[in-house]
Amino acid sequence: MRFEATMKQAVVRRTVREFAGSKLADAAVEMDRTARFPLDLAGEMADLQYFGLEIPAKYGGAGLDAVSSAMVVEEISRANAAMGLCISVHNGVSAYPMYLFGTPEQHRRFLPLMASGEKIGTFCLTEPNAGSDIASIESTAIRRGDEYVLNGNKVFVTNGGVSGINLILARLRGTERAEGLTVFIVESERRGLDKGPPEDLMGMRGNPVCPILLNDCCVPSHNVLGREGEGMKVALSSLNGGRIGIGAQALGIAQACLDVSLTYAEQRYQFGKRLVELETIQKFLADMTIRIEGARLLIYRASHLKDRGLDYARESAMAKLYASEVAVEAGRRGVQMHGGYGYTKAYPIERYYRDAKVCEIYEGTSEIQRMVIARSLLSEVSGSKGENGYEHRSVHKTGSRRTYYSY
Amino acid sequence: MNIVVCIKQVPDEPIIRIDSERMTLIREGTESTINPLDRVALEAGLHLRKHNGGQVTVLSMGPPRGEESLREALAAGADRAILLTDPAFAGSDTLATSHVLARAISRLRPFPDLLLCGMKTIDSDTGHVGPQIAEELGIPQVCGVNKINLEEDSLVVERLSDGFLDTVKVTLPALISVSRECCPVRSLPLGALEIAFSQGDVTRWGCQELGVSEEEVGLKGSATRVRRLLTPAFTRKGEIVSGSPRLLVDRLIGTLEAVGLLDEEDG
Repeated sequence: MRFEATMKQAVVRRTVREFAGSKLADAAVEMDRTARFPLDLAGEMADLQYFGLEIPAKYGGAGLDAVSSAMVVEEISRANAAMGLCISVHNGVSAYPMYLFGTPEQHRRFLPLMASGEKIGTFCLTEPNAGSDIASIESTAIRRGDEYVLNGNKVFVTNGGVSGINLILARLRGTERAEGLTVFIVESERRGLDKGPPEDLMGMRGNPVCPILLNDCCVPSHNVLGREGEGMKVALSSLNGGRIGIGAQALGIAQACLDVSLTYAEQRYQFGKRLVELETIQKFLADMTIRIEGARLLIYRASHLKDRGLDYARESAMAKLYASEVAVEAGRRGVQMHGGYGYTKAYPIERYYRDAKVCEIYEGTSEIQRMVIARSLLSEVSGSKGENGYEHRSVHKTGSRRTYYSY
Repeated sequence: MNIVVCIKQVPDEPIIRIDSERMTLIREGTESTINPLDRVALEAGLHLRKHNGGQVTVLSMGPPRGEESLREALAAGADRAILLTDPAFAGSDTLATSHVLARAISRLRPFPDLLLCGMKTIDSDTGHVGPQIAEELGIPQVCGVNKINLEEDSLVVERLSDGFLDTVKVTLPALISVSRECCPVRSLPLGALEIAFSQGDVTRWGCQELGVSEEEVGLKGSATRVRRLLTPAFTRKGEIVSGSPRLLVDRLIGTLEAVGLLDEEDG
């Protein structure tokens, strides 16, 4: 068992840390204040292949392993959580599922556009009446000749405002629960796809999260991702990978909380001492550090399992759940350590606290993660089914051969 | 134009740890990076190659882990990477290090037109190695250069010294050590890193390949020994004086004279 980054991983991490520190950290303040997404900065990141982390080089991606990819998201989020969210969602639940489930023709058409960042991706699952309960999706798809007609209302779409390619989960008409769900690749310029105004968010304000409305939107049948009726499988497997990304994002935010809290505690004097000399503050810092390192190990382990082609559904759920709770706690403790200053916008800790909260909510709430983890335990002893009645297993791509694990 | 860039892998840590017996850096278990000014030298070399053609070879002397920095240099665009590594090199001072690097450079065919390096490193800060390589190879050198222009078979370079801008024409082959202003450093694309680490090739040369004896390198080949390392202590001794302006001026002049900051003639 080795607990060190490989040489490549160490260099990738440092390269991204330096880029994020010099280019993204200052931008984070402005993105939060104005709730605007800087496309020029995203363009710079695209040139460095941040939009094609695990996509093979032949499609213009960086071809990184999952551990390196998690490190990239962690370091970006440490400097700029809203940008980390963009990269995490684009790569984890849009570009990667396209790679995993796409046909060779879909790969040729879409992966170069996504890996180059020319088209930013989304994953549209949540609706006004469906979120944690995926099987309640109401958006419909009706087959008409060689195309499908989509209707529905997707909400809280991360990257929505700037997206070019959207993966949309909809139900084939006449089906119930999970059986008829299908994922469609829908380009933003298709007639019948409209974007609503961006949400006025509590945190991650720089990410253009918005509703996507489908009104008789016609999509050719060759834009189905995976097979008809396999939407639940595509969705759950996408979320497995995506959860590593959200965990890495939460980890970056938690680390940022520790970074600024430590700096503050070294500079601030109370009772004639620096805060770091006070035992209570030392305990805060020690607890934050232990939890952050624990989260980091869980995330790297889930990524490592993914790299080895093993099942990582439970591990990614544990990593996402733990890291997001660690981030919220690090934000809470961080604000507390900063005292009154922590409650002002003069220090970044309040932003980190706001940014952290959503990590407990999106890509599966903490409650759903606990359900996934518990059911995977139960399935080992009693063979019961997982999330939404499905056994929750990972799907991998091994070379050009697609390997579906028992599902 | 064939260019050699000498790079050093340095610790990327806020606090550098020293082996108290050998008085050398502890590298084990630390994060490392390419010395920032050597990274500038590499960019300058790649920039010259882009406009004038040729090859960029990167050389580094150090422990096996130095491969990491050389692969990073390959990702940046270097054509060839050579790691000079041998247990016998351990403990080399700047003279022994320069000797190893000079021997490696003299083995390259054709002999390079230009040698580039950073003007100093962030860990030892001596600025010795570049000039010593040039001396051993018997070629001209210009240090602390912030601008390089190629003119046929010579370079016209600029350097800042004591607030003046020197413009120096130097015939090739030559060694140039660069300052931070010489060239902007790019962030590297992630795919280039992936390829350099999975497919890139790093040649390794030790004593045998270089034809040097163990007496010439490492602690044995070093002309200097670090006896002690310490952090200088700076103490501020403020003094508050009061009185009439005349008295205060006399007192100030007297104090400055006493510590040698003012000649009596100036006063």
